[in-house]
Amino acid sequence: MDTPENLFQRRDFIRLGLAAGSGLVFAPSILRAQRSTPSNDLNVALVGVGLQGRTLMEAMLTIPNVRIKAVCDIWEYSRTYGERYLQKNGHQATAYTDYQDMLEKEKDLDAVFVATPDFWHAPISNDCMKAGLAVYCEKMMSNTLEGAKSIVKTMKETGKLCQIGHQRRSNPRYIFALNRLIKEAKLLGRINHSFTSWNRAVTEDLGWPKKYEIPADVLKKYGYEDMFQFRNWRWFKALGGGPMSDLGAHQIDIINWFLGTIPSTVIAGGGVDYYTTHEWFDNVMAIFEYPTESGLVRGFSQVLTTTSSGGGYFEQFMGTEGTLKLAENPKWTQIFKEASPNWAQWEEKNYLRKLAAPAAEPSDTKVDSRETAALISYDIPIALDKPIHQPHIENFLLAVRGEAELNCPADEALESEFAIFKTNEAVEAKKMVTLDIAELAV
Amino acid sequence: MKIATIAATVLLSLPILHAQDGEKAPIPLELPKPLFVGTPMEIKVPNLEPARDGERPDFLAPKGVVNLAAEKSVTSSDEYPVIGELEFITDGEKEGEEGYFVELGPGVQWIQVDLEKSLPLYAIVVWHFHSQARAYNDVIVQVSDDPEFKTGVTTLYNNDHDNSADLGEGKDPAYIDSFEGRIIDAKGTKARYVRCYSNGNTANDMNHYVEVEVWGLPEES
Repeated sequence: MDTPENLFQRRDFIRLGLAAGSGLVFAPSILRAQRSTPSNDLNVALVGVGLQGRTLMEAMLTIPNVRIKAVCDIWEYSRTYGERYLQKNGHQATAYTDYQDMLEKEKDLDAVFVATPDFWHAPISNDCMKAGLAVYCEKMMSNTLEGAKSIVKTMKETGKLCQIGHQRRSNPRYIFALNRLIKEAKLLGRINHSFTSWNRAVTEDLGWPKKYEIPADVLKKYGYEDMFQFRNWRWFKALGGGPMSDLGAHQIDIINWFLGTIPSTVIAGGGVDYYTTHEWFDNVMAIFEYPTESGLVRGFSQVLTTTSSGGGYFEQFMGTEGTLKLAENPKWTQIFKEASPNWAQWEEKNYLRKLAAPAAEPSDTKVDSRETAALISYDIPIALDKPIHQPHIENFLLAVRGEAELNCPADEALESEFAIFKTNEAVEAKKMVTLDIAELAV
Repeated sequence: MKIATIAATVLLSLPILHAQDGEKAPIPLELPKPLFVGTPMEIKVPNLEPARDGERPDFLAPKGVVNLAAEKSVTSSDEYPVIGELEFITDGEKEGEEGYFVELGPGVQWIQVDLEKSLPLYAIVVWHFHSQARAYNDVIVQVSDDPEFKTGVTTLYNNDHDNSADLGEGKDPAYIDSFEGRIIDAKGTKARYVRCYSNGNTANDMNHYVEVEVWGLPEES
């Protein structure tokens, strides 16, 4: 019998193409090794040392042969954080306020990680690639479709690697679910529906201590009206992309990736119904139509930011023979079998582990006699034992060394993020919007 | 309902009492606003206490107790914090956001508050970090009159279940930090110095403090 470790094979890492057929296929040369450092070490820089930047920084620390040589942030607080944090972990990083200053002075970099607010992603990523560097850019690629397209255009023109931070694409449980459970074992039968949900409880706007305020001229230079906007950029349309962009984008990316296509239409509702200081919607509910090879798949996605809704965030694929529920947190991951299929062989192969049988209804509980019986559920014996961003960073660094292909190159990410831009458009327009792939031509 | 459950419910609903005599009142804690940012991470700690059901009971101490740690000097095993200043720990600001916490390096680290006088202590309240649900490892709180903590050391809290901090195994539970802070019963122990240890947390290897309060009467009666 295969062990869970054996089940996850190296071939699972091979990039699954979405680009084919979209007119965005690149010459293989674009993915060639781009090493410039003679030693085995890769020299990298981090632009944006906020919460996400720190998450990437922490995930990088345990990856061998990586030297974080520079950190850059317009906020002295975060800049200092990055510099000192790295110092305590054995990296001598120089701190910069301006990324262009950093590019001018740091001449031995191989790659740059971009984790700034969204509206800075494209300008920084483009300038870094033009400076000859590989780029790992956090998702979303931009707060505008034009910005996202500019990254793909630069990638194409410079031939530099650009990985987008949809980190689930490198998560072994997700790769296993797609390659083994859906494609090989075909456990779900025909997939007819998808469902994603990500809900967060009400949160206060972020503040800051007066002593750490950024001077007004610096804020203005970098596109912020004031400190409030700087700290709460996610809620401003000129700076971020709203909740579907912040949270839903990860999940829509999984639906697109697993179904092997992008939606053809989206109809969506949402608005700013609760918060008084936000420009972006605090809730979005969207219905997508996916024209797959097996037929039409309709998917529903919601992102709510005023309720935790009982907790949990997940992506779900619902098929005639089973339902797969996936999440980065293993406790939300399960696969449910409909009554008729026999999954014994997959249990035998260790692709699945049967969970405890559902509890019987108490004898005095009245249920509709037509209600489907409770389904048998299974879990997936593949768990990630690293920080959730680490495999995606590792994949990027391997690609920089010329030893792998990117799991989420910018052209594929653009196709996926296209659905997010169109969802926001549908909410604004209050009507169904068609996704025309021709819009992505660069 | 089982008898054990009933007993636990009754205990939870009662104020936390300590062994001192005299008139008592709830310690007048001022709590910061709750703040959780980002997606909660899975917390796997073997000795994690179950989530509390309902409000935290008041902690009773002799009437007139004050926060003896307010504005008092703080030292640490890490004199060069990643971010923030050691003074933040006793400055009265308990917000969970950026700019209000001090971050110490990885591994076992301690902070120490000098109360300037040896006085009976009734409660120590610790806010490590509360903008994200985390449990800190090896939370150990000790008091002593010896600034080196070599003699006369009383351990008031120890949840180091596997002695990874090398200060002895503790039986107290691990817990998830929140805006409420953790109230540790000081049981009237007389001491001048308060030392708090931790050993990273369930989100990363670093050690954080937003605030530490030490509740006692300003002068020994």
